[in-house]
Formats: sequence, structure tokens, C-alpha cells
Amino acid sequence: MRRPRIVDVVVTVGFVLALCSAGAIQTFIELCRGQRLQALDIFRQKPSAANVRAYEKNLEDFSWVSQKLRHRMQYLQYVMLNDAGEKALPGLDGWMFYKPGVEYLVAGGRAITKAKVGPDPLAAIAEFQDELALRGIRLLVVPVPNKESVYPEKLTSRAANLHGIRSGQTSDLLDRLSLAGVETVDLFAEFAQAKQRQTNPADGPLYLVQDSHWSPSGVAVAARAVVSRLLNRGWIGLGSVSYDTKLAPVQRIGDVLRMLQVPEIEQTASPESISCLQVIHPDSGMPYRDDPESEILVIGDSFLRIYETDEPESAGLIAHLAKELKRPLTSLVSDGGASTLVRQELYRRPALLKNKRVVIWEFVERDIEFGAEGWQIIPLPPVPSGTVEKSSGENGP
Amino acid sequence: MKKQGGIIWALIVLSLAILCISCRGKSGCSAISGEDPHMTTKGTIEVTARLVEIPEGAIFKRELYDYATILKYQVFKVHRGQIQGDTIFVGHYNPFKPRSEAPDRRVKEIGGNLRVFEAGQIHRMALQVPIEDCFMGGIVNKYFGQDTGPIYWAVWTNLAKE
Repeated sequence: MRRPRIVDVVVTVGFVLALCSAGAIQTFIELCRGQRLQALDIFRQKPSAANVRAYEKNLEDFSWVSQKLRHRMQYLQYVMLNDAGEKALPGLDGWMFYKPGVEYLVAGGRAITKAKVGPDPLAAIAEFQDELALRGIRLLVVPVPNKESVYPEKLTSRAANLHGIRSGQTSDLLDRLSLAGVETVDLFAEFAQAKQRQTNPADGPLYLVQDSHWSPSGVAVAARAVVSRLLNRGWIGLGSVSYDTKLAPVQRIGDVLRMLQVPEIEQTASPESISCLQVIHPDSGMPYRDDPESEILVIGDSFLRIYETDEPESAGLIAHLAKELKRPLTSLVSDGGASTLVRQELYRRPALLKNKRVVIWEFVERDIEFGAEGWQIIPLPPVPSGTVEKSSGENGP
Repeated sequence: MKKQGGIIWALIVLSLAILCISCRGKSGCSAISGEDPHMTTKGTIEVTARLVEIPEGAIFKRELYDYATILKYQVFKVHRGQIQGDTIFVGHYNPFKPRSEAPDRRVKEIGGNLRVFEAGQIHRMALQVPIEDCFMGGIVNKYFGQDTGPIYWAVWTNLAKE
């Protein structure tokens, strides 16, 4: 039986309209707004691969249709298929994971091969340590496990019996750091032990359910482990400030949910209730504050920022390190930039190294491969005038 | 055959018409100086300069974190204040966003009419210096290690012409 011609026409016209509508609407809107027609930008620059990629990206990012429809489609995809898109991976019991972190974990040998093509973290870390040593400053490296390395059982039920996983690439780097004489704190082992010790469900997990970062419990475990290592090595002694703590509950929508940029998902999600312990000064009761004259500098990424400069403030790793050490610290934080950007920032702020005996360098595990700007070798800033460099022998016990 | 030729000519004429209309746009090829009340009152330095290049990987949409990115400019004219040399390096906050959408809770006092950064564009900018005094956060600097001199902080950025 012959299909009516009208069906062919409707299907064809509908298909063509669907194909052309986004471009036509964008052109109409740009003309109405008196803006330059973005579609014609392709003729305004050299047709290089980079320019064409940038052109396509700009078309996509600034498309009115895309901005209006994308989040609705993503919401449908999330509700109907449990697919959270490029950046997030829904786990079990409402847990959300940052997809690049999961990819880092499962890439295994492929990731190691790829990493060898780019700058090697070991070279950057060893060079940094050597330069610090010339000034009599010790380096303690603190890689923070990805959430999925500590809670693989929340990612898939097939990992139900695992207390933690370490990717091949992370193990490889930790081994090589050890061989190179770089002092590291093994938070993978610390967190695995802490999980096994946790018998009371009220203690809460070491990482947040909706967020890629650690919980206040995770902060406490990390702070104790770092301070224990510093004291055991005799690099620094306890100070004299007996900081107090006070309860500081906060409500937080996780960063993994926020990065989806789908308002419908954020609106339906309940914020996570987090019981933070804010570190306060014993005399004034004021929240902990850094001291630029401290003998200890802490550098790192958003794992230092969370609870510290985010609400409730002074309740993150920096404040809790200060509490355990009974002395204030100096800190420098670069969100997502612990591999290279934070050391570039240190180069621009030489005063931060004044009076230092120890540098604690925190970075999240996935940055071994995905660190912003890779792992560049960055020199230390010139010694500020009037400062005498110490030899490594002056480090003391 | 004749009909097809007509359609092709119609498409060519239509494309040229759109190209002409697009070049009359506010932020495109129109003769603008980039001057506005924000430009002349914000920052301590005001220049018109050409964006020399956008290094590979310097500008892309970042999902979670906010960075400033350093871009290289060739300065044509200094309207206000003083600069060192003709080539300056300027930090723009979250340059993947149109300048009007760039200010946020953390960095409030920035803006301008520039939508997209493209190499070769002429920008009129109100600047502060040094960047360390204005912005405490991640800075993507593809020129790190080169002699950049003091790095400027872009407060207001408008598209302009030489």
C-alpha cells in the first residue's frame, strides 16, 4: 500500500525544521539584540583546528536553545535513566561521584601510560623538595584519596567487601616518591583503618554523600595523621596555644550536584546536614586565623578550602592541623590547582615562605593525572631581601 | 537547472546580506571607542590594546572553580594612568564568560560589554596593578617564567576599535 505523500512531506519538513531551528532562532535573537552573528565568526579567523574547535564550543555555549533546553533534557535523563551526564555518576544510597575521579580510578595501566607522556609529578615534587631543602625547609606531601577510592562500595555493589581501593597510578607515584626520599602521609591506609574502626553509624562517613570532598570526620582523621607524622619525625614540636572547638552545623548542597547545573535537580535534593567543629581561640573565642609568621606553610586545593573559608569557616584541615599542633599556620589554597597553580602563586608571594621550617603540600589523588596545568617545575620565589637562607643542616630534629 | 541556479544565487545574496547586517552589530565591527562611565571611573589605569593571542588551553569553560587567566596585549593608547612598556599582561576573571556575566559573589567589581575573547580583538580596559592586590585565587598563567613585568587586573573590558 502506498504511503500518502503528505506523510513524506511532513516528516521531511519536520526533520529539516528540527535541524535548522536552533541556528535560525539564534540568528533571529542576535539580530534583534543588535549583536554580531556568531555563526559567521568562522569567516573572521584562520581556519585552524584550534579556531574551529573554539568556534564550535562558543556556538554551543552561547546557543539560546541550548541554554533553555539543556537542563530540562538533563533532568529528564537523570530522572528516567539515572544518568547524571558528563561530570557526575550516581552511586548507591544517594551517593554522587565526580566522574573524572572514577575514570581516574578505573583507567589503571592506561592512565599510567598516558601520564608518562605528560609532565611527571615526581619530577615537580622532588624539585620542589630540593629547593626547599636548600632553605632548610622540610616537605611533607599529603595526597588525599578520591572519594571513590575510600567508598568504592557506594559506587557499585560489586565492591561491597572492599574497604578501599588505590589506583595503579597512585600506587606507582607513592612508591616512586618513597624511593626518591619524599616524605608522604598515606591517607588511604588511614581512611581504611578509620572506616573499620567506625562501629557507630552516627559517626558518619569520611566523605560527603553529595560532594566530592571529605566530611568533618575525614578532616579529623587527616589532621591527626599529618600531625602524628610531623611529631614522629621531629620536624616540629607542639606549640602553646590550646585551641578550643565549638559545634558549627552547616547545610550544604554538594559540589557534584551543583556542577550538573540543572536547577531542577538542585531544587529536589535536600542539602546535606554537616556537623563541623569550628576551631576557636581559647582566650577571645574568635575563630582560628592564620599567622603569616608561622613556621609551617600548608598549600593545597579545595580540600583545604572546604569548611575553612567556606562556611562555617575555621573548621577545615588548616584549622584542625593548628589545633592538633597547638600553633597557628600559614596557608595558601588554590581550588583545583594544587599540582602547579598553587606553587606559581607561592612564587608571586615570597613573603609566605618567611620563617618557615615545614611545608605541607596537599593535593587530591585525581590531580596526579588531571591537575590544572599539569605538574610543571616551578622555582621557589627569590629570598626576600634581609632574609638569610638557612642550610639544610639547620633544620634541627 | 535554471531554477537551481536561481536558488544558489539567492542563498549567496542572503548570506552577504546577513554578513553585512552582522557587521553593524553593537559589539562587532561598529565604530566604537569602548568608552563608558564604568570605564572612565573604575581602576587606576585605562588603555586601548590589541589582544595578541589566546594560548592553547588558556580559556575554556570550567565546571567548578573560578580562575583568572593571563592574556597578552599590545597597547595602542594609554587614556589614564601609566604602564610599563607597550606589551602588558592582563588577568581576566573567568574569561569563558561574557564580561557582563563574570562578576559573582567572590569578584564583584568587574564587567564590560565583551562577550567572547578572540585573538586580534581591540579591547578598551580599566585596569588595576598588581593583580595580587586585587585577586586572591587561582591564576592560569601560560606566560609563567617569562618576563611579564607586573601583571594587571582587568576591572572593565569593552570591545573597541583602534
